[in-house]
Amino acid sequence: MTTTADTPVTTRTHAPLGRLLGAELRWVLRRPRTLVVLGLLALVPLAIAIGVATAGGPPSGRGPGLVAEIAGNGFVLPVVALGLALALLLPLAVAQAAADAIAGEAATGTLRGLLLAPVGRVRLVVMKSAGVVMVAVLAVLLIAVVGMVAGTVVVGGAQGTLVTLSGTTLGVGEALGRIALVAVWTVGQLLAVGAVALAISTLTEHPLVVLASVLGGLIVFGVLSAIPSLEWLQPVLLTTGFSAGTDVLRDPLPFDNLWSSTIRALVYIAIGLVVTVVRMRRRDA
Amino acid sequence: MSRRGRWGAGLAGIVVAGAVAVGVAVAPTAAAAPPLPPVTPEALAASVITAKPGPMNGTVTVDNELGLPAIPQVPQLGNGTSTVRVWSNGDGKGRAAIPSPDGERTLVSDGTTRWSYDSTDRTVTKAPAHPANAPAHPGRPGGVDPQTDPSGAATQMIADLRKTSTVTVDGTTDVAGRSAYQLVLTPLPTERTLLREVRVAVDAEKRIPLQLTVLATGSPQPALTVGFSDITFGPQDQSLFTFTPPPGTAVKDAPARGPGGQSGPPQGAQAPKVVGDGWDRVIVAQKPATRPNPNRDEGDAPDLSALGTPVSGPWGQGRLISTAVATAIVTNDGRIAAGAVPEQVLSEALGR
Repeated sequence: MTTTADTPVTTRTHAPLGRLLGAELRWVLRRPRTLVVLGLLALVPLAIAIGVATAGGPPSGRGPGLVAEIAGNGFVLPVVALGLALALLLPLAVAQAAADAIAGEAATGTLRGLLLAPVGRVRLVVMKSAGVVMVAVLAVLLIAVVGMVAGTVVVGGAQGTLVTLSGTTLGVGEALGRIALVAVWTVGQLLAVGAVALAISTLTEHPLVVLASVLGGLIVFGVLSAIPSLEWLQPVLLTTGFSAGTDVLRDPLPFDNLWSSTIRALVYIAIGLVVTVVRMRRRDA
Repeated sequence: MSRRGRWGAGLAGIVVAGAVAVGVAVAPTAAAAPPLPPVTPEALAASVITAKPGPMNGTVTVDNELGLPAIPQVPQLGNGTSTVRVWSNGDGKGRAAIPSPDGERTLVSDGTTRWSYDSTDRTVTKAPAHPANAPAHPGRPGGVDPQTDPSGAATQMIADLRKTSTVTVDGTTDVAGRSAYQLVLTPLPTERTLLREVRVAVDAEKRIPLQLTVLATGSPQPALTVGFSDITFGPQDQSLFTFTPPPGTAVKDAPARGPGGQSGPPQGAQAPKVVGDGWDRVIVAQKPATRPNPNRDEGDAPDLSALGTPVSGPWGQGRLISTAVATAIVTNDGRIAAGAVPEQVLSEALGR
């Protein structure tokens, strides 16, 4: 609604995209719930770091999964934190942004103003997607950066190196490269969730339905992938690829799973965006 | 209503198209059998035994339907699919990475030392390599492990089984994008075994086994498929074949190796006895000093007492553990008999 108010309609036949985007991003960022969610996400690596630091040095015997890898190996923290958050927390943040973007505006009646504004429907989708993308990028960046700082300060590195799962050591530069890679990959997976959430967002006027569908869908995907007789379904499920982020801790870096999960995410993004655009174009103001 | 119906149909169409797209984008493509010049089984088997594949790397996929109990230390043995990444420089140096969801086991053989690194407990185990019987890839010492080394496993198998098997070449196939001959070993009718046939896909150019498929009697599905899902021949980065223990890890020496290829002190133990030959060979051993390892169908010795069903015979009493391709009997007096044979053959072997 702020966008229409700011746009000089008299002299233009359409609003400049940059300004629309700026307005949308400010609109998303000014929501207290967005900030609260981002703040809580930043606590994830902090909590892990404190937990690992208080637990002491490297565990003897078989540790409880990847978290044990962090002890004395701080660069692993952002990767593990992203992996843990990707299961539900990050999708929750993105789904919330997508729910607010369209269903939320429909619920408060402000979507009508946007639909009536001199903005093409595709531009409207681009703008709304940008808000979701921003939340995804910010959330991942926050976890990665806080994770890196907490990993270095609280946990401490193994002589400034990253010890991979394969027993090799990587220098700081390569370690940062690996973390950047997993961050970019995580954003890709989140955008797939976000695109589907946007599509659901166009189908309902209740933001809670979007949240429930996305989180419920992720849980159902998890259940389906745990059933052995439904193994053939695995290539289609988005969650199948969620564990591929761990691969950046292996050396040499295996790209197969990172690549196939990215392709899968791209297909989800395409489906979500197509449904969103079609639905928004046909929508009555 | 009709509009809503159109909408539903449209959405369903988009979702179905998307699902198909995901499937096409992610699923591997099946290839037709490539035309290759005919070859006799003898020539093929011989060329396999003398093959020198040179440096290569690849991914080995294990599809295991053996029906073994899950053993925590070696999840690859349980039913299901697992992958192993292997690198070999062709002259005894090699590297294998066995990934698990929350870690990785790395095996490196640098020519003089075999290193094993387990990321879950961050321990490095080192052992001197045995040049006399150094495996082509790192793996279990003194032999070949089909889990990590399909080439070595199949080569050894062909050499053993030619005496008691019908060996045929059953057309061609495509494995990991490479043309391959299908070498099929079928047990002679006189052999008493649970196995129906063993198929080995042999690379047409490099003549190394690319895939090993074990079929048991009474089941159309393979009990075990071990093979490359991806293979590349060519020079390898030599740094892959060295290992430096990372900071903060404990390095320990591996315990002495028993003749069965398993760790554990073999003090006072006698070597396992082999009864029969060919497909119906049975290995009889004493528990727990040594453990037989014909089909890797046993866990740690204490576990055996809880597995299987009670059986008795002229040899005494014990427990029978059966899987799709192998049977084992653990007697109450501490003997173990195992083989790819029915229970009766084990019984006879124990009675000898």
